[in-house]
Amino acid sequence: MYIDWITWSIWLIGVLIMIIWIVVPIREFKKLLQQKRTELKNKTN
Amino acid sequence: MITVDYVIVFVFLAAMFYIGSIFYKWVGNSDDFYLAGRQLTPFILAAVLAATNVNLYSFVGQAGIAYKEGIPIIWQTWTGNMAMVISGLFVIPVFRRLRIRTIPEFLEKRYSKGVRTFVAFIWILRLTFWLGVVLYTAVIAAQTISGLTSFTAWVLIFSVVVVIYTILGGMWSVAFTDVIQFVLMLAGALLLLPLAMSAVGWFPGLSAKLPEGALTLVQETGTYNWRFVIAIFLLGIEWACVDQGLLQRAFGAESTKSVAKGLVLAGIITTPFALLWNLPGLAARILYPNLANADSAVPILIANLIPNIVLGLVVVGLLSSQLSTISGNLNGVATIFASDVYENVINRKATDKDVLRIARIITLLTGVGMILFAYLVPVLGGAVNAYLTIIAIMDMPLFVIAVIFGLLWKRVNWQGAVTGYILGAISGIIGQFFFDLDFNLTTFITAGTTLIFTPIVSLFTKEVSNEKIDAIWRARTISDEEIASNNIYNIFPKTFNGKLSLVVFFSGLVIFLVGVFMGSSGSSAASIVAVTGMVIYFIGGLFRAYTN
Repeated sequence: MYIDWITWSIWLIGVLIMIIWIVVPIREFKKLLQQKRTELKNKTN
Repeated sequence: MITVDYVIVFVFLAAMFYIGSIFYKWVGNSDDFYLAGRQLTPFILAAVLAATNVNLYSFVGQAGIAYKEGIPIIWQTWTGNMAMVISGLFVIPVFRRLRIRTIPEFLEKRYSKGVRTFVAFIWILRLTFWLGVVLYTAVIAAQTISGLTSFTAWVLIFSVVVVIYTILGGMWSVAFTDVIQFVLMLAGALLLLPLAMSAVGWFPGLSAKLPEGALTLVQETGTYNWRFVIAIFLLGIEWACVDQGLLQRAFGAESTKSVAKGLVLAGIITTPFALLWNLPGLAARILYPNLANADSAVPILIANLIPNIVLGLVVVGLLSSQLSTISGNLNGVATIFASDVYENVINRKATDKDVLRIARIITLLTGVGMILFAYLVPVLGGAVNAYLTIIAIMDMPLFVIAVIFGLLWKRVNWQGAVTGYILGAISGIIGQFFFDLDFNLTTFITAGTTLIFTPIVSLFTKEVSNEKIDAIWRARTISDEEIASNNIYNIFPKTFNGKLSLVVFFSGLVIFLVGVFMGSSGSSAASIVAVTGMVIYFIGGLFRAYTN
């Protein structure tokens, strides 16, 4: 089976970027969410 | 598209509406609405910037030019990414330290209130017109791909959801939905690439079947030759330093260091991404060689190659690219009006609540303006060309007075800035309409005129020195915020690693330029040298952003 290294290398870099930009922003948004929750709690108290 | 595809699109829009709207509670003040409370981290910022900069113009317009003229058009994106790295490392950190929200606000600090108001009105009109063009191209592409030909239906699909969630959650909604939309549009493009390449016999098939030179990145002749690469790089630097859409996101960064990191990361991730729409554009040339309209190349490719259900996902990706651009620019117009016109001219005693209310009303009105302009685009005919002309005439003088003189020479005053700006714009109008000059040459003439007349008029008028200008000069090195948080970003690095990264960065820039100039003699090594220089440049920029 023929494998086109150029196309699949570009594709793999794209997949890698996609995975990083799913994992890291989720972690960062979780932190922001916790901060905001604490802020909103403090306001209502 | 079949029913399942429409269901996928509907679920996506409903999810965007829900997710965007839940941020309503997060908006407590105007800074939350405009700048997401200045809490965006580097990776979030990078995704937001990439999502805003990649839109259907990339998949339709740029891929269409690749279809017609070959691969060199990719430099429009690549040099834009290089420009983002320069502005992220050297220019935007200074603006971020000043805690401004818009470029007009900077112009008041640097020159005068009049300059701020004048430029604010120009930007409101420009951004609203740009939104109309963006919406129009989106509708045309959606009609081709989906088979649903109602113009009004697609206008409503694209605008209603995005306008509502931007009104409710402001920059928080924009940022969160942008990150999701970035991943979705990348996924859509990743589905398209292998299908398009396999249809033409992968890369060997592509290079064998395309006309000679279509895969040469730096060309000696043709419309997109080596001179184009230099011109578009300079224009990219101008764009990356003064564009409100880009700056506003950057100002939302949690710190000055995050600005540098976010912009460098955004530049790097969008670079391989550009191949995902340019290569399908080239593949379409082999599969459908006689298209009357090159802009329909990728939409036709999608409609013919992508199976149903997957088609729904790709349409979601394309919708994502457009929604993120629209939401960001809507927020930009609202910010400029509320901050530079309402708070600054109409109601100087406005409370934060008043400003927030006005920003939301303006978001709605801009949404209506965007729809009206979208209907006007086909009537106006050359609307996109008219928009490019406005950029050539208006943007370059702004870059010269705001960045070159605004940050580098204290002696320039508001009289010089206003005269330079107006004369620069007039020279552009004369060049464009009386001498029929092209877009690139017009840009250089407007820049040259502003560069000459701004200092001349300043030297013949009174020198201005005040605390605001001193604060700008201080921001070139440090800010109280950085001292307090002990998180200092040095534009000119202090450590060995920082200095080394800067050497690598500038070496990459020189190699890139050498490669481009080699293209002028038709050297076969020009493309590889230019791309190698670009890669070294990005590596240097990345290490620079993460060292001090």
